[in-house]
Amino acid sequence: MHHVSTPVTALFVFLLVAMTLSLAFEEKLHAKKSVIVGLFAAITLFLAAAFGLVHPETVTIMGNPVTLPVYVPGINWEVIAIILGSSLFVDVTSKCGLFTWIAIKLTKASRGDPLKLLIFYSVMTVVFSAVLNNVTAMIIVGTLSGVSLGKLRLTNKLLGFLLIEGLLTNVGGMLTLISSVPNIIIGSTAGISFITFFITASPYVVVATAVTIFMGARLFGIKALKGEAAKTEAASLVAGFDENDGVESVGFFRFGTTMTVLFIVAMASVSVTPYVKDLGMGYVALTFAVIMLTRYAATADRFYQAVDWDLLAFFGCLFIVINMMEHALVLELIGEGLKPIIGLGETVGVGVLLVASAVASSVTDNIPLAAMLAKILGGLELASDSPFWWAVIFGANLGGNITPIGSASTLVAVTIIHKNRLPMSFASFVKVAVPFAALQLVLAAVYVLVVLG
Amino acid sequence: MTNLNQFESVFKSADKAVYTYDRPTFDRVLVVTDLNEADAANITNRVRKFLNTIDAAGTRWDTLSGDAFGSVQALLESIEKHKPDLIVTYRHLHSSAWQWPYSLGEYLDVMTQATSVPLLVLPHPDDDRALPHSIQDTDRVMAVTNHLTGDNRLVNIAVAFTKPSGTCWLTHVERKSVFERYMDAISKIPAIDTDVAREALSEQLLKEPRDFIAACRAAIDAQGLPIRIEEVVSMGRQIDEYGELIAKREIDLLVLHTKDKGQLAMHGAAYALAVELRNIPLLML
Repeated sequence: MHHVSTPVTALFVFLLVAMTLSLAFEEKLHAKKSVIVGLFAAITLFLAAAFGLVHPETVTIMGNPVTLPVYVPGINWEVIAIILGSSLFVDVTSKCGLFTWIAIKLTKASRGDPLKLLIFYSVMTVVFSAVLNNVTAMIIVGTLSGVSLGKLRLTNKLLGFLLIEGLLTNVGGMLTLISSVPNIIIGSTAGISFITFFITASPYVVVATAVTIFMGARLFGIKALKGEAAKTEAASLVAGFDENDGVESVGFFRFGTTMTVLFIVAMASVSVTPYVKDLGMGYVALTFAVIMLTRYAATADRFYQAVDWDLLAFFGCLFIVINMMEHALVLELIGEGLKPIIGLGETVGVGVLLVASAVASSVTDNIPLAAMLAKILGGLELASDSPFWWAVIFGANLGGNITPIGSASTLVAVTIIHKNRLPMSFASFVKVAVPFAALQLVLAAVYVLVVLG
Repeated sequence: MTNLNQFESVFKSADKAVYTYDRPTFDRVLVVTDLNEADAANITNRVRKFLNTIDAAGTRWDTLSGDAFGSVQALLESIEKHKPDLIVTYRHLHSSAWQWPYSLGEYLDVMTQATSVPLLVLPHPDDDRALPHSIQDTDRVMAVTNHLTGDNRLVNIAVAFTKPSGTCWLTHVERKSVFERYMDAISKIPAIDTDVAREALSEQLLKEPRDFIAACRAAIDAQGLPIRIEEVVSMGRQIDEYGELIAKREIDLLVLHTKDKGQLAMHGAAYALAVELRNIPLLML
């Protein structure tokens, strides 16, 4: 480990705090995440070079010496590949109409009964969050809620539906290793396999989902319909939905469905599939994206344009900043600060880390938090089944439920709420969401300590 | 990445108008003429033969001859007294203006808006412009509108008037002039791709009535009604399109809306259709 003077480390700590605050006030600054973090990446790189913390290194790749710019090795390319590949795959697959088909089928199966609709939409939110990603799940289920409740003349219940769905995206986002970015970062650093992750997280997800639905139904007065006339009228109103309307071609629909199933199977079996295990999940995600793009081979550029480059640039720059923080011994400093917490043991320590992660990710992006903690915990050489990893996973995901800026999906929920001209301020969101988040965190703490501890 | 509008559009498009079959009944029919009693009775007999599809055993037929009313007020009072489910009449009662095809005449003008009863308007008895197949039977009925989707009443009435084994055309002609005006505005907005907008908008405007007609056909088939439902969905100038369709398909009866909640005058193109399409019977709702 090279020597870094205390003032230099302090300067980098200041930059890290400044970046975190800037991300927390992203909306106020009217600046995209990628620009904010990109600026800090440029500054930290320059300062790291000026203080002699980083030097270009020459590595040998397939026998050839290659000098890499200092910012290249710092980026976690596996995470970038998984996000890019999954996003493209989901975007192209959604064109086959599978997700909207499922959503409309469930709407019709509810026969317009509000309570059944809430249960179906909630389960759908969790499953879509797990299979797709939180934001896409919220967009699909949230927009359908707006349309179907409007049709059923139940717009007074829309706020409740959207809030419950928003809160469940972060619960569903814990179901698999690829369901959320913190899962990908922590899981890949800890060496948790797809299957292990699923088996470990699923009991909690099931219980937390049931509790959230029950609590939401009571709080927002969402009840089953009574009386034959009301039931018949509601059923006839939702009967007008045509699940096949969004299916462009039956062939592509079947292809998309098959590929979605294969995608999940392939992701789940990466660690045991010969050759593929050497290439990683990023390879699987990108390969499936390319296969799906063959359907739109001539117009694939439309999908490239639709990729969220802000998110990808944000990740790339974030990894650079964290890498520079590592060189400036900031992570070591934070790790020292975390040692007393970890020293509290696998009961109190885990509980404190879970709550601290949740509080931190409620006011700022949970991705930098996950990336930093992954780096720090990785340095402590914890076992892959250590409850500390799970404390960060649960805390980083569920913390997003405390405030509307805590996660991208709750932000989407609030956007849909405002789009439907429903009142929802920052404070009123917190007032409604805190009891849900508190209960989910208590359940998570009990689960991590009692079941996983 | 997927976005909000993309999915909202998909779900809104999937939310289709539901058609429910409900057969209307016409228990009392009032035939209003400006002829003497004998000629008026002849007209009534001819109309009964023409409308035998809705003429049930209990249907009551009343006739007003020319001397039964001398003013619009008197006619409206008479209608109020008879409480008909259907009024049968023709243009230019008590007037010779039927020779000039530029208006409906004061009686019909008021009746279309002052009563909620469907009005069957026949070609004028003295007018030789009526098509040869006119007032024979209702083998070929056409419902016309520029907004068919969700219009259950229009479809149900058109179906009720269609003779068993006959054909009912459900039509929707989107006004091309209005479409082009919007496209002209869109072509001046840089943020919108004009070609994409033209294709997508035109496709969506025509898709909705097509979907609704398919739903009508399925529901009517499910009822086991012995009539055929045909679709005519296009974009153009309504008068021209309908004129051409009437001649080409030898339509016996045209069914259309005339009322508009937002105004006292006839809605949209209804007046123009009622004035210009004088060679076949029109059922004005």
